[in-house]
Amino acid sequence: MRALDLTVERGEVLGLLGVNGAGKSTTLRMVAGVLAPSQGRVVIDGGDPYERPAIARRRIGYLPEVPPLHAELTPLEFLGFCARLRGLPRASITAAVERALERCGLGEVRRRPIAALSKGFRQRVGIAQAIVHEPALIVLDEPASGLDPVQALNLRELVRSLGATHAVVLSTHLLPDVAACCDRVAILHHGELRHLGSARPADASAWCVGVVQPLAASDWLALPMVEAAEALESHRWRVRLRDGTPVDAFARAVVERGFGLVALGPDAAPLESAFLAIAASGPAVHAA
Amino acid sequence: MKTVLLVARHEWRRLAVQPFAWTLAALVVALVAWQFLLSLQGYLELAPKLGGIADAPGVTDLVAIPLLRSVSSLLMLVLPLVTMRAIAGERRAATLPLLLASGIGSARIVLGKYIGALGYAWLLIALVALMPLSLAHATPLDVGKLAVALLGLALLAAALVAIGVLCSAWASQPALAAAAALALTGLLAVVDAGARLQGITHSGINHLALPTHLEPFLRGIVASVDVVYFVLIAAVALVVAVRRVDALRGSAD
Repeated sequence: MRALDLTVERGEVLGLLGVNGAGKSTTLRMVAGVLAPSQGRVVIDGGDPYERPAIARRRIGYLPEVPPLHAELTPLEFLGFCARLRGLPRASITAAVERALERCGLGEVRRRPIAALSKGFRQRVGIAQAIVHEPALIVLDEPASGLDPVQALNLRELVRSLGATHAVVLSTHLLPDVAACCDRVAILHHGELRHLGSARPADASAWCVGVVQPLAASDWLALPMVEAAEALESHRWRVRLRDGTPVDAFARAVVERGFGLVALGPDAAPLESAFLAIAASGPAVHAA
Repeated sequence: MKTVLLVARHEWRRLAVQPFAWTLAALVVALVAWQFLLSLQGYLELAPKLGGIADAPGVTDLVAIPLLRSVSSLLMLVLPLVTMRAIAGERRAATLPLLLASGIGSARIVLGKYIGALGYAWLLIALVALMPLSLAHATPLDVGKLAVALLGLALLAAALVAIGVLCSAWASQPALAAAAALALTGLLAVVDAGARLQGITHSGINHLALPTHLEPFLRGIVASVDVVYFVLIAAVALVVAVRRVDALRGSAD
C-alpha cells in the first residue's frame, strides 16, 4: 500500500472498492490490527492499536474474508468466547451474545455446531463475532462473498443498520453493494487510493429502471416528469426526471402505464464508469 | 493472566469436543495399561524368589518406575500430535486473525495455547499414574520415589509441549509441525548417543540430552540442574514461539 489516507466517522459506512489484488484486504488487515504497517499509522479514537492493544481489543470488530470460526463449537459457545476474548465484563456477556445472535438472525441455530451450518449462517456467525463487543469500528472484508441473493439483501440491511451507530469499513468488488450500503466509497488500485467520494450518485434525478414491456424512448418521454431516457439493455433504461419530481410519483406513473416495473434504483453509472476506468489503468509511476 | 487462562480453557473445550483428543488418550491409556499388566505379571512370578534377598527391589522399582520410563518415551511420540494444531491449525483454518485482532498480544496467545496443551499432557500422566498407585492398597509403595518420577515426567512434558508449540508456530501445516517437533525431540533424546557409545557420560553433549536429566528423577533424585534444564528448554521454546507469532502479525501470510 502507498500513500493511503482514509478517515471514517461513527455513523458512516465506507466502502473499499477494487479489483482482486487492489489491496483491499491488506488495508483492512492493517486497520483491524492483524497486519502491522511497515510505515504509517492506524489511529482509532486517537490511539494506535499497535501501540495500545487494548484499543484493538474493545474498539475494533473484524470479519476477515474467510470467517475465523471454531467449527466444532456452537454459535452460542463461540460468541461467548469472543465476548470474553474482547474483554467484556462477565455480567454483560450473556446479554451481548443474545444481542449479536438476534441481530444476525442466528436464534434458531444457536445450539448447532458451526460446522453443520450453511455458508450463509457461517458468514452471519462471522459478523456476529465482529459486533458482539459493540466496537466503535467494524471492519468487514467481502462479507457478501458466497451468499445467495436473499442472504446478500439481508446482509445489506444489517450493514446499513450497523452503519447508523458504528463506523463501518466494508470491502467489496460488487458495485450494487456499495450503492446500497455505503455513504462513501474509496477505490483502490495497485495498492493506491485512486478515488474517494460519495457513494450516492451526484445526479439525484437519474434513475435506473427495469421493465417487462419492450419500450421505445418515446414511451418514456410521454410521461410528463421524464426529461430524457436512454436504453441500457433491452429491458433496462436510464431515465432522467425533471427537477423536483418525487421518485414515487414517477414509479406510480410507470405502473399506471402498464410498463411492468420490476426494478427502480439510483443510477450508479458515474461510480461504475470511474471504477471501470481505474480498473483498466496501470500502476502509477513514482519518482525515485 | 486472565486472558491466558481464557485461551487455555478454550483450548481444553475445543479438545473436549473433538474425537481426536479422546482417541489419543484412550490409545495411550490402553497401551500403558497393557504394559502395566505384563510388568505386574512378571513381578508376581518373580516375587517369591525375592523374598529371601536383603534389600530386594520392590514393586515400585520393578513395576512402577519401568512403566513411567516407557511412558516418557511414549510422551515424545504423542505430545507432538497434541501440540501440532495449537497455532498451525489456526493458520490452516484461517482462524488466527480472531486471536491476532483481539489485541491480547502474542505472548498471551502462545502461553494460553501452551497451558491448554500442557493441561492435556498432565492429565494423561495423571491417568497413567493411577495404575501403579492402584497397587497401594495391596502392597507398600515407595510413594516418595514415585512422586519424584512423576515430577520428572511432568517437567519432561512441560519441555516437550513447549517444543511442540514452537514448531506449531513455525510451520504452516499441523502435520509439518508434528514432524518438526518429533524430529527436534528425537534429536534431544539421542544427541549424546555417540558419546555414550564411547563411554563418555559427563561431557557437555551429555547435558544437552533429555534422558540425562530425566533419569535422576526416575531414580528418586531431584537435582536443581535437571529442573533448570527442563524449565530452560520450555522458556526458550516459548520465547521463540512468541517472536514467531509477532512475525506472523507483520507478514501477509
